[in-house]
Parts: sequence; structure tokens; C-alpha cells
Amino acid sequence: MRLDIALVGCGKAADQHVSEIKKLKNARIVAVCDRELLMAEQLAIRYGIREYYSDFDRMLQQVRPDVVHITAPPQSHVTLAKKALDAGCHILVEKPLALDHEEAEYLVDHVVRSNRKMTIGYTYYFDPIARAMRTMIQEGVLGEIVHVESFLGYDLSGPFGEPILADRAHWVRQLPGGLLQNILDHLLNKITEFITEERPTVYAHAWQRSDPFNANLGLPDELRVMISGQTTSAHATFSAHARPLAHYLTIFGTKNTMHLDFISSTMTFSSTSTLPGTIGRLSCAFGQAWQYFREGGRNVIRFARSQYHYLDGLNFLLTAFYDSIIHDTPVPIPHAEMLRISAMMDEIFEQVRGTRLFVK
Amino acid sequence: MSILVTGASGFLGGAVVERLLAHGEPSLRCFIRPSSNTARLQELQAGYPNASLEFVVGNLTSARDVCRALDGIKTVYHLAAKMRGAPATVFLNTVVASKRLLDATMKTKSQRVVLVSSLSVYGTSKLPCGRPIDENTELEQHPEKRDVYSHAKLRQELLFREYEARGGFELVILRPGSIYGIGGKNFSGRVGIEVPGGWLLHFGRNNLLPITYLDNCAEAVILAGTKAAAGDIYNVIDDDLPTSAEYLNAYRSKVGRTRSISVPFFITMGLSSLAEKYQVYSQQRVPALLTQYKSAALWRGHRFSNEKLKSMGWLQIVPTREAMQKTFEYLNHQKANCSHPTFPLCPRPLSQVVRENPSTGVALERGS
Repeated sequence: MRLDIALVGCGKAADQHVSEIKKLKNARIVAVCDRELLMAEQLAIRYGIREYYSDFDRMLQQVRPDVVHITAPPQSHVTLAKKALDAGCHILVEKPLALDHEEAEYLVDHVVRSNRKMTIGYTYYFDPIARAMRTMIQEGVLGEIVHVESFLGYDLSGPFGEPILADRAHWVRQLPGGLLQNILDHLLNKITEFITEERPTVYAHAWQRSDPFNANLGLPDELRVMISGQTTSAHATFSAHARPLAHYLTIFGTKNTMHLDFISSTMTFSSTSTLPGTIGRLSCAFGQAWQYFREGGRNVIRFARSQYHYLDGLNFLLTAFYDSIIHDTPVPIPHAEMLRISAMMDEIFEQVRGTRLFVK
Repeated sequence: MSILVTGASGFLGGAVVERLLAHGEPSLRCFIRPSSNTARLQELQAGYPNASLEFVVGNLTSARDVCRALDGIKTVYHLAAKMRGAPATVFLNTVVASKRLLDATMKTKSQRVVLVSSLSVYGTSKLPCGRPIDENTELEQHPEKRDVYSHAKLRQELLFREYEARGGFELVILRPGSIYGIGGKNFSGRVGIEVPGGWLLHFGRNNLLPITYLDNCAEAVILAGTKAAAGDIYNVIDDDLPTSAEYLNAYRSKVGRTRSISVPFFITMGLSSLAEKYQVYSQQRVPALLTQYKSAALWRGHRFSNEKLKSMGWLQIVPTREAMQKTFEYLNHQKANCSHPTFPLCPRPLSQVVRENPSTGVALERGS
């Protein structure tokens, strides 16, 4: 069976989705839509997609897709999702799922009532190293999880940040949580799977760091979050200024500590040595070096086999989601997980609301 | 206020504003983005205290901002475009922004629009080596096979033609070659591709580079606003063009050592073929920096004509040899003094020489 996929919202995220859909055997992209027809046209021409629309209702009616990817700004997610569900489509919604937890709950309810499937564009959730990490944790390599640290660096002068700086009316600026809301899913979805409580204690602090680059941002661009569960704690850091850009997850277990670097796609463990005293300390660095050498070699082999790609996680997510539709199996990311994250985001934005800018 | 310059804080924009002021325009409106660096424009304002530069800060994708900028404007110089970045961003800021501008132009009754397009809109991929490219050459049929910039610039041009056909304003289109000069980058993409390790893959070494010096191009833009016939199109390239190898050698002697590998055309095409095959094998996991279509369009050795531009009265105000000298002096200065990798704020030095355009008597460059 091959699913017909349509996409609405032809911005930067749409490129990533279309390029990955084109690689899959169980799906084909049949139409794209954007309220600005020129944007839909450019995407369709670049990827050889025959149909493009500026009217979402017309696209749903004429193309009758099996799945709709919603890559439009979050302000329109619920409206578009509802229309797609009412037309009988399954949906993939880009993060953030909705503007707040209430909207997210409404959307999930509507999905359930429509008896359709929904997933969310958590690109890194199924990154190869994240999948390997889950396997190792299941095998007990880390023991019990004590603490998790999630770090995400952001480049305000990069392809996603620069348009926000350049446009005072950019949709990211209109989100209740501003820039942070557009990013926070990637930071939190690496943590929530280790925190079992429905509503853990959250402490958040945010500010805008003074810098010539972001003088006109007018939004917090640094965030620290402490999350405290009964047995596991977590610390999340978002930084638009720390360099070089980092994106990692460190998991501290009772047996071992694991470090996942999402930029280099490497998974390493903190080195310990059985050798005594100073000799033991000396050997640790060689142990680390060997791990990085091994990971680098593994990545070279993956590259040669064309398996080393920035969007591997998204590719896996799409495959799993489409399979769940075709075989009527559970979706790859449970709705409850999406809702926990949206609730946590609400809590964070509530705490950082009214943040003074340029305080540091 | 009767003149609007979009993209005024950009590389060409600053030069166009400078040339307009040099031509004696008493007041100009500059459309800039909130994140634009206005140091150059502030410098120009200080240099022309009797002229008035009005800044309209906004985004061209906002209909409200564009209407505000066009209020009372008779001539629009539309230079704003996004040259690099994610494809959607390039299209949004080049094509959709143009649509907003055109919609507002139809409402506000601006009389003339000068669009700065690009030589990359020509369909040169299938044309034989040495074939002269003039304004009648067929446009690119598959710009998406070339690159996002070509695709966006061609779509932008077609959009302007669609709106022009509805009537209401005069359109003049300029198609400049690679613009170089003070404030610009080291090499045009036609010289080659810089690869990791500081090496330059030097393609098309014997081809004439279709380049135009910043001030020469700016002069052409201004002529298009005042002298060009409505509906006309002009290529903008300088006379006495260097070959790609001559440019690179001059760069080496004035700016510094550059490690390069000269790649003959047939090898370029072979490499492009391999790059395409690997891209298919890897399921587009690695972007195809080279494709046969793009390589043929850029490096097959076409010749571009500027005869029509000259027939309009354009004169090259800075000779090519002098223009290269100035550019390399600037690049040398940058290399020595301004090594900040991400936020260059080095002001462009003010011109030291005063000369006159022989046809208009207008000062070409002013003393500081």
C-alpha cells in the first residue's frame, strides 16, 4: 500500500518533509499548499510535484490525500488539522503542536474522536543515536537514571534565526512563548521520557542577552529549566549565544553516564578506569579518544552507505508513522507524551513571562 | 520624496544610493529591514549633508510596510533580494516580496520601476561555447535545475512582466553579471568553488568573466530610472573583461596566495556527472554542488553583450583595471585589519578621487 501525502505550509520545514517523503517507498507526495501560491509553486517545481494550491479546502477536496503534513506556522495548526481530520486524513503536525496546552488537548481529542492518527515532527526523537540510546537503556547499561541534561544551541544569524531578526511581524514573534516556543519541543522531548511524573516540578529562568546581533529581537533568547521528578531530575539549556553551536543530551545513570552529541552523531560514555591513582586518570583520556575514534569510523561507514544524514530521525519517524497507518498499529509518539510536553511548556512560559530584556 | 530604493543597505543598494546622491538627488527613501546594518547609509548621509535620506524600516513581505514605503513615490529601484539561505527564504524574500511591492505599486501609482535581475536568468546551459548572450537570448527553461537563486530571479522577472502587462507603471529590467567591488566578496561563483581546506576549484579559466564593478552597475541602475525606454531590458557588464584566470592571478598578486586547482571544462562536466550520480545513490543526502546543467550554464564559455546598455548612454565610469585594483586593495585591507568572522562592521572607505561622467558632467566620485 502506498499513501498519498499532501502538505500545507511551504516554508523551510516543508523542504525537509518533502525531501524525506520522496525517499520513502510507502508514500508519495501528491500536492502542496500555501496561502501564498508562489511559495507552493516553488516547492512543487523544485520537487516535481504536480499539484499545488493556495486553497487548503480545495486541495483536500480535489486530491483526497491519506495524510496531511501541517508545516504552516503554529497559529494555524488547530484550524488546518481540524479540516484535514474532518476530510478523513491522518495528520503530521510540525512542532509546536499548538499555541498552548488547552489547544493541544482539543486537537488530541479531535484526533481520537475522528479515529485518525496523528504524530508530531520531533526530528531528533528518532535520530540514530537516540534510538541506540533507548536500546542501551533497556539493556540496563546505564542502570537507573539519576539526572538528564539537555542542551540546544541556536544561531540567530542562521537560516532559521535570521528571518526572525529581520521581520518584526514574523510569526515566531507572535507565539505566546516567542522564540523559545518554537524550539522548546526539541529540548524537552529528550527529557520527558525519563521523568515519569505527569506534572513534575519545573523552575524556569529566561532572559535576552545583550548582543549587537539581536538588538532588535525583543524576546528572551537564553533559557534555563530545572525539572525535578521523584527519582530523576533534569536540566534543560537553550542558548542563542554559546559557541560553538552545541546540541547534546547527557544521561547520568547509577551505572554509567552517556553523552549523545546530535551534531556529530556520536554516542560516548564517561570513562572510568580500573587502574589505580594517577595511572588511572591518565588512561581516561585515551579511553575517550578511542570512543570518539570508533564513533567517527562508524559514521564514515554510514556516510559511505549513505546512511549518515541530518534528517535520519525525521525519515525514521515518517516511516514509522506511515506504517502505523497502513498496519493500524500504535503511532510512534504517544499523544500523552505530546500533551505532557505542551503542559510543561505552558508552565515554563508562565514562569518566564514578563522577563526583563537585556538584564545580563 | 519621489525615489525609493529597496535593499538600500545591501552591497549594490549602498552604491545606488551614493550614485543617486552624486547625481544631485535631494532626497531619497531607503527601505531597510530591522536587522539591516545602516552604517554605510549613515556615512553617506554625513557625506551629503544637504541631501535627505529617509529610512523606512520594515519587511517587503508585509503589504502594510510596502504601502508605507511607496507613499508618494514616482520611481522605485527594486534591488532587494535574498541571494543565499534556505530555498523557501530565498523565494519569500525575492519573489513574494516582489509581489507585495507590485501589488502596492498598482495601488500607489508609482510611474517607473527598475528591477535589478540577473544574468543567471538566461538559458545558457544548452548554448554552445562562445555564443554571444544578449537581451534576446532565450530565458532559462529549467532554472530549478540550476540553483535556487536563478530560479527565484527568473520567477521574479516573470512576475514583474505579468504586472507590467496589466498596465499602470513602466518597467525597466537590468540583468547584471557578478557584481564586485568594495564591500564585496573575494570571488564570483564563476571563478570557482571554495572547498574545505582553503582550496579553490577553479573552473572555466579561459572564459571571460561577466562581471561589473559596483559603481558601474549602480550608474546603469540610475540610467535605467531616468533614460531607459519603458519595457526595455539591459545586460549590465563592464568592458575589457578579464578571463577567470587573469582575475585569479591579479587577486593572487594583490591580495595574497590562493591555493587553487584549475579544472578544464570536460573534467568539470565529468565531476558534475559523478556528483549527480552520488546524489542519486545517497538519496540526496549530500547536496549536489555541481550538476552538468549548472556547470554547462556557468562554465561553457559564453560571451555576454553590453551593447544595448551602451546604446542607452551608459559609460563605464571606473575602468576594469582600476576597479580590480580598488577591489583588491579593499580585500587586502580586510584581510589585514578586519578579521571578525561574523559581524564585519568595517566602513567602506569614502572615495578619494573626483572625476566627472563625460556625458552628464556629474561628479562620479566625490572627495572626502
